[in-house]
Amino acid sequence: MFSLNNQLELRKVTISSLLTCIYLPSIVTVISYKGLLYSVGNGSSFYILVLIFFAELLKSFYLNATNDIQAKRSKANKNRVGDILKSFVFLLVALFCFFIGIMLFGAPILDCHEETLMLSSLMSLLAVFPLIAHSGVEASMQLLFGIKNYGRDTITEMLVNNSIMTVCGAWLGAVVIPLDWNTPWQQWPVPCYLGAISGYLLSNVFTVFKVILLSAAQKYPTINSIINFLNNLHSAK
Amino acid sequence: MQSWLQNRWTSLCLLVIAIGALMLFLYGFFPLKYHSGTLAHMDDLPNFIDGVSIDGHEVYNSGENTVILMVIDGLRYDFATEEYMPYTGQLLKNKSACIYVSVAEPPTVTMPRIKSPERKKEKAQWRRTINFWRDIFAMMTGSVSTFADVALNFGAPAVRGDSVLRVAASRGRRSIMYGDDTWLRLFPGLWAEYDGTTSFYVTDYTEVDNNVTRHLDKVLTPDENKKPTFDFLVLHYLGLDHIGHLEGARSPMIKPKLLEMDGVVKKIFTAMQTWDRAGTLIVCGDHGMRDAGGHGGASPAELLVPLVLARTPDFVCPHSKGPGPTVAQVDVAPSVAWLLNAPIPGESVGRMLPALLPSDSRQHLYLLHVLAAHNARQGVPTNAEFYKQFQRAQTQFAHYLATGQKSAAKIAKDFYEESLEAMSRYLSEQTVDLDMFAIGIAVFLLYFIAVTLLCVTLYSLQPEHSRKTSTGHHHRSTAGSFLAFIIVLFICSTTLVISCFITETKSQFCSFNSAWILVFGLTACVITMVYFITKTAIENTRDLTILKDLNLIDYLLIFGTVFHSWSFFGTSFIEEEHMTWYFFWNTLMLFILLRTVVVVLMYLGKMFVGATEVQEKPELHKRMDINIGLLPKWVLLIALHRYLKTMNQTGDRWLFLPDTADWLNAPENAVFLQAHLVVGTLLTLIICLWNVRCMNNVMHMHTAFTVLATGCILCYRISTKALDSPFDYIQSWDPVNIVNLFWGLLIAQFVFEILTYVGIFRSCGVNSLKTQSNKKFVYNKPKAKTEDYFYDPLAEEPWNLEEVKLSLACSISHLMLNYLMLIVILLMRPHNVIMVPSVYITCMLTSKCVNHKLLDTRPGRDTEIVDTLSQVLVHLWIGQVFFFYQGNSNSLASVDLGAGYVGLREYSAWRVALRMGLHAYGGPAVAGAALFARLAAAPSWHRYLQALWQTTNVLALHRVYAVSLYCIVTIFFRHHLYVWTVFSPKLLYDFVATVFTTQALTSIAQIVGLTHFTSWLAKTLTYKSKL
Repeated sequence: MFSLNNQLELRKVTISSLLTCIYLPSIVTVISYKGLLYSVGNGSSFYILVLIFFAELLKSFYLNATNDIQAKRSKANKNRVGDILKSFVFLLVALFCFFIGIMLFGAPILDCHEETLMLSSLMSLLAVFPLIAHSGVEASMQLLFGIKNYGRDTITEMLVNNSIMTVCGAWLGAVVIPLDWNTPWQQWPVPCYLGAISGYLLSNVFTVFKVILLSAAQKYPTINSIINFLNNLHSAK
Repeated sequence: MQSWLQNRWTSLCLLVIAIGALMLFLYGFFPLKYHSGTLAHMDDLPNFIDGVSIDGHEVYNSGENTVILMVIDGLRYDFATEEYMPYTGQLLKNKSACIYVSVAEPPTVTMPRIKSPERKKEKAQWRRTINFWRDIFAMMTGSVSTFADVALNFGAPAVRGDSVLRVAASRGRRSIMYGDDTWLRLFPGLWAEYDGTTSFYVTDYTEVDNNVTRHLDKVLTPDENKKPTFDFLVLHYLGLDHIGHLEGARSPMIKPKLLEMDGVVKKIFTAMQTWDRAGTLIVCGDHGMRDAGGHGGASPAELLVPLVLARTPDFVCPHSKGPGPTVAQVDVAPSVAWLLNAPIPGESVGRMLPALLPSDSRQHLYLLHVLAAHNARQGVPTNAEFYKQFQRAQTQFAHYLATGQKSAAKIAKDFYEESLEAMSRYLSEQTVDLDMFAIGIAVFLLYFIAVTLLCVTLYSLQPEHSRKTSTGHHHRSTAGSFLAFIIVLFICSTTLVISCFITETKSQFCSFNSAWILVFGLTACVITMVYFITKTAIENTRDLTILKDLNLIDYLLIFGTVFHSWSFFGTSFIEEEHMTWYFFWNTLMLFILLRTVVVVLMYLGKMFVGATEVQEKPELHKRMDINIGLLPKWVLLIALHRYLKTMNQTGDRWLFLPDTADWLNAPENAVFLQAHLVVGTLLTLIICLWNVRCMNNVMHMHTAFTVLATGCILCYRISTKALDSPFDYIQSWDPVNIVNLFWGLLIAQFVFEILTYVGIFRSCGVNSLKTQSNKKFVYNKPKAKTEDYFYDPLAEEPWNLEEVKLSLACSISHLMLNYLMLIVILLMRPHNVIMVPSVYITCMLTSKCVNHKLLDTRPGRDTEIVDTLSQVLVHLWIGQVFFFYQGNSNSLASVDLGAGYVGLREYSAWRVALRMGLHAYGGPAVAGAALFARLAAAPSWHRYLQALWQTTNVLALHRVYAVSLYCIVTIFFRHHLYVWTVFSPKLLYDFVATVFTTQALTSIAQIVGLTHFTSWLAKTLTYKSKL
């Protein structure tokens, strides 16, 4: 659960989550009205990924912006170009890993490469990219696999939750594929694609919900019991 | 009662009881009547009615008749109207034809979608056959078929009992069939002429019908005497159904198709009018269709089909206009049989179509009498009202015959009809009705046993010290507990008896005859016993803190196992059960992959950050090294599973997709197939040789035995032409002899192992060097303890009895694993041989990875119990996954009959069944054996027994839990239309799985028993020799 210590971080988290809650559904709505929802696996829907990429990039700029001059200075000293290059390479590696992993876990091997590639790029965009943009390559690796603890860093906590939920969503999306309903959205990779997006979205909604709970708890102390319960759940995991 | 709870094999006993309960369930679920196979003869016709003689043959004679049965697949009631079929409508209007509403036996249809390779056609054909089975069976034999008819016939789905076609053939009638070839397969050898079309390609809806119609002109043309050339003609049109499947009942193509059918009716009817012989045309559908086009539901549109009866010459339908009276599908059989002047098929329960009954009241009554007497012979209770009615009718008929009073004839007719209706309904219901009371009792028992097993399992999962402290608080006297048992037993049986009488059930269970009273008493005993075990277990389970040690993977395992049984409430989850398992297994593999990545990262982090710390702990360093090696292995394992998954398409929906096995079995890829075979066999050989290390000291002999056995398998493959070899002469060897030699080798190896254990070979001096280096089976005195048993030399055990016991158990367990692997390899299809080493490798690697100490850097935490739990569940999962990798599914069609005849010269039911079962359950069997072999590698005898106890409990619990939940599912869906193709086969599979689990646990119990026995033997002999 988030801490209330840093109001600024909390605000950032809320706003960025709200932004996600707005832009992702609107993208999905637009493409479903255009009738393109079931063709998300094609290469022609690459523009969706570009849109998401820029949205996430803007969000990460917002999250990284600090008023602290000293921090700015220390950041400026670092080799920005090298960092960006490294992140880019790492993103590609992550994409490749997702690609191989998805295939290993049951995607068609001999065909449908385009679809699998689109799914893996979406997943690396949603699950890995924001984390890299915020905390760098090494730290994000450690964070993702739970080796490093994010401690009281609310933003990182949100980002890690987002990536986990994205992967879970894509994973659970595969459940509907074997059902014998013969609907167009059971085509590979539509359920996983939409599952990843909805997982990400759900995670953001949870974030907003948690912040609302926290602020409500200040007014109504009874809510604290719910927060404690959630905290317990979290620590039990 | 405490001793029951603590007994190691309580759960095994409970499992056996559960099998009993399951049998009771099967008894209640599968209809009680089994077809006896009585064949009818003309001589069966009664010549005396209540003492008054009558010439049966003469009265029965229906004259010369020609019958045409035209089955239009998917013809539903509203299609047979003037709007769709104008000519037929016209016939109905001017009363030259009658229309009846016939209620179809619910069909179950799953249509093949895609062209499939030859290998899978059989499976699809089988499904297709089952689909037509009920309708054709009902129409031709006049009796409602049961699941047992199908299940006992699978492989060769021919009707073995009596049918219209058989009686017609026995009377020398010519039967001709044009249409779906299912008829040919159901009634082989009974057709004078036929042309079967496969209904395989659903996209084809013109050609299938043209294939039927093209013969009509020829066959309908009468010979020079204006007589038709046949007596019975069956036409089966499939096109309508195919259109329905493709486009739905509102498709524009339906109308032209029905017009075409109408044209056929017109053609037949006009031809019949030119004949110099009475002709009868019966047009009927076998099932209807939904508006959406499919069928398989229970809506009226699917179940109500028209039955149009048209006759020449001068036939006037006796019924008033409008929808005709309701008849049953089984009524077709006696009607056709009578028209063909043949006796009524032996097991027919139908009646005559009302419009066919002759106007001559003597013949009319005689026919009714024949039908009623026929039905009355088929086990109708003689004290029932309808039987008495039948007897009254008989008296009236005799009275009529003697005096010729019209009023007596009228009364007799009414009485006959009443009793016939009641008898038909009774007989049909008896075939279809479930014994709900027995089912209820069985499910209750299964549930109670499942709950008890859960309590026992939880009890056994407690840490040992808390189990010890909880015992012996208040020790009841034996007499006291006996009294309690009697009292509860009395209460149970009273409740059962009362419930019997309250529900007023007709069940055999409550009939209290000699055999059933035993079952009744046993049920009451079991309920009492189970109650006491549960009670004691609940009282003694206090400390479940161990469950807090469960990690995420354990939760996944438990949740998956529990959820899986609930998923069966959806039919497609039964048909596609493999998908559920694949998904769970994938999730597990993902979790473990993440875990191994975490281990690697943790290690790397430690290397960079705290290098000194790692160097200080060389032990930790070493463990990390081992664990890091897991990651690449694990990735390779995932790749292997990805490959195995593509090996066999299974289930229902994707069965027809080409898979790797098809590719391998293509003649041009024979090299790869043989490579799979050889690699699989050799890998198994290596694994077996690796396992030999756990056996006794005479390593070389065991190695020789194993290598020889593998050689036998390879020779068998060569002699059955599955494998090419440079040695041509092997091909001429007899496979049966090779397999016999293989069995001989296995038995010899086992005997040798036991003999070495006993120590026969020591005197020969063969292995004197070996025995000294490796003292597994030598009793000796541990030296450190020599002072202790100075006081009580008999009570203490100076000898290392337990170590020897453990090593014997370990050795036999590994021997069992080796045997299973070798036998399964022998039985498997060549492309599946690779599965066996894969199961072993998966088991080994996974059990390393789910180890709770993998991520734990601190030693000393006791995770043994949780480890056992997760190991058992993981092995269960692996078994299930491989069960489906191998190409099995929950349909009877996927049972490989070929495996049953490996190394057999003639059919022998038990051997074939055993081989088939072991082949089908090869994956679970090897995984289970690997689990028990792993358990036997425990550090001490005591801990081995502990782990064994817990494992047995968990396995039994899982089995009974799955079965009991599935029984509920089948009760819930007992009227579902998939009950034949989906639910019942799965029930059989579950039954077999339960039997095999029991068998596996029994053999483990035997191993433990053997160790105890030998140990006791050694002890007594030693003491004796001392004395």
